[in-house]
Amino acid sequence: MNTWFGNVLTRAEAIDDWLHEKRAASLALLRDTDWPTRKTEVWKYTSLKKLEQIDFSDGTTATTAPVIDTNIIPSLNSIDIVFIDGVLQSIPADLPEGLSIVPLTRVPEEHQSWVFDLFANTKPRHHLFGLINDALATDGVVIDVAPHIYIEHPIHIVQTMTAGNEAHCRTLVRVGAGARATVIEHLIGDNESFNTSFAEYSLAETAALEHYRLALQSGAAINIGGSHFNLDKQAILSSTIVGYGSDLARVDMDICHKGEGTVAKLNALYLLDRQEHFDLHSNIEHTVPNGTTDEKVRGIVADKARAVFNGRIHIHRYAQKTLAELNNRNLLLSREAEVDVKPELEIYADDVSCTHGATIAEIDKSALYYLRSRGISLEQAHLMLNFGFINELIDKIPNAVLADWLRQQLSGRFTQMNAIKRSGQETV
Amino acid sequence: MMLSIKNLSVSIEGKTILKGLNLDVNPGEVHAIMGPNGSGKSTLGYVLSGRDGYIVEEGSVLFNGVDLLAMKIEERALAGLFLAFQYPLEIPGVSNLEFLKAAVDAQREARGEPMMSSKEFLQAAREACKAVRLPTEFLKRGVNEGFSGGEKKRNDILQMLMLQPKLCILDETDSGLDIDALQLVANCVNSQRDSSRSFIVVTHYQRLLDYLKPDYVHVLSDGKIIKSGDASLAAELEKQGYAWLVKQPGEEKSV
Repeated sequence: MNTWFGNVLTRAEAIDDWLHEKRAASLALLRDTDWPTRKTEVWKYTSLKKLEQIDFSDGTTATTAPVIDTNIIPSLNSIDIVFIDGVLQSIPADLPEGLSIVPLTRVPEEHQSWVFDLFANTKPRHHLFGLINDALATDGVVIDVAPHIYIEHPIHIVQTMTAGNEAHCRTLVRVGAGARATVIEHLIGDNESFNTSFAEYSLAETAALEHYRLALQSGAAINIGGSHFNLDKQAILSSTIVGYGSDLARVDMDICHKGEGTVAKLNALYLLDRQEHFDLHSNIEHTVPNGTTDEKVRGIVADKARAVFNGRIHIHRYAQKTLAELNNRNLLLSREAEVDVKPELEIYADDVSCTHGATIAEIDKSALYYLRSRGISLEQAHLMLNFGFINELIDKIPNAVLADWLRQQLSGRFTQMNAIKRSGQETV
Repeated sequence: MMLSIKNLSVSIEGKTILKGLNLDVNPGEVHAIMGPNGSGKSTLGYVLSGRDGYIVEEGSVLFNGVDLLAMKIEERALAGLFLAFQYPLEIPGVSNLEFLKAAVDAQREARGEPMMSSKEFLQAAREACKAVRLPTEFLKRGVNEGFSGGEKKRNDILQMLMLQPKLCILDETDSGLDIDALQLVANCVNSQRDSSRSFIVVTHYQRLLDYLKPDYVHVLSDGKIIKSGDASLAAELEKQGYAWLVKQPGEEKSV
């Protein structure tokens, strides 16, 4: 892998575009960064061994691109943008008024200044793969929602990988003052591959964004990425993260309350089986007064799967009257399932309300009794309550079409998990 | 006989609550059980439904000739026993619809009846909603999630309508209901009365019994039935309270 890492530096040096200055800065940081080991704190519970074992030549292997059915979520009525192996396929014509979507490879001059500012700005500088993405992501999509515009249709960014490939792509989104929009980052596929996908968002005053990161890559699809947000005065962010595990999956969320009176609601859920690995790092920065954060994270971990949740809330000295809540609950379905939870609260203001809780959940005995008292078998009651544990967060998803679709997907995955387990038990 | 309880003694956490209770219920009968707080009324419902933690010290219960106490919770429900709870539980994350469907499917399977299609089921669930005057949107919500006390109780009655049990035990279903809701619950119960279905109605108030017109009224005190009568007993209790029936601790000594 160190050869690969060395190659990254060489490949990055060869890129010379209008973002060169930004890329060079990240590249300089990369040169001073050592490849993580088990002793590196942010990678303590997530081993990069699987990534090290894969031999990617140079990530430019040309294969026949599969045809992606963009209508993955029926009746979502979305504006679809598809990436295959990190290459943008097309952007729909006839965009609604006030919405501009352009490829990162062809940003018109009038947009270059804000895009340049946003690039590598909301994403923290310490993330190794973020820096790699800075250096290598030449393709990507740039979305601009004009002030006071309401974009009714969700903007749906689908990313998938073909076998043996490596890709790095970037999403940059600006939501203008008082504007409203929905952006879905949707990663799918299970081919042996590696991709980094980072998105940076800037919400202007009183802007409202409904955001989803559906990290549904599984199997041998190694994916490391993140969604990062700056919230200006009274901006509202509602974000939902759904994670499947794969050989290696990590998502970083950074939300920075930059203006007063901002509200961020973050719901995250993961459903892991076999030897899947999913790592969620969230970091909330309250730098000014009167911000609100409500973060709920729930996961079901079965078999030999492993979840990692690192939830940090940082309330700066002047961020008085901050209300921040962080709650993480995990349901472990087997003895070998593992979850590593690390809540980190750093509070430097004295007039704030901040709570956190992280627990290993158990099924409520009285709920079991209630279901059984209506004739439902113990086994089925367990399944219903276990799924109900994450379905509670699906119920809170604002987009009903998306909620129904996700419920179906997750319930299918959950049923399959349990079917495998049962047939496994029978053969023993 | 549908239900035959003989000399039933039950303890919870080492404390004996029921102390040799006897009760026989025939098909089609409505029995009301009244009594002071702490006399064991709710315990009776819980122990019959099979709730954990209720230890049978002595006695027997036959339900349609079968030993009820040897059955699992869900087996009792599938045999036709239904308990409407004093405090129905909230189960967020499990929708009412999913819950009802699973329960109805289990019942039909146990009775050897064909499964309902989704369409038939939805139709039946909507009708049941209408009968208990709950908006059909409630079906999509988590079981009792965010329901008011009265809505939770109506939801239990809705389940009773859907599951068509043989023996319904209503544990203070009337408490916390306003007059309209009380009448609605009573109408639902009356609509389900027939020669084969029986009811045990646990209540503190005569009001519900005015609508239900029970065949028998029993007074439960200190874990035993101390008096049984017809509907007029309820009226008498309403007037005089329980004191005239319940021996005071000092009383026995002085006799």
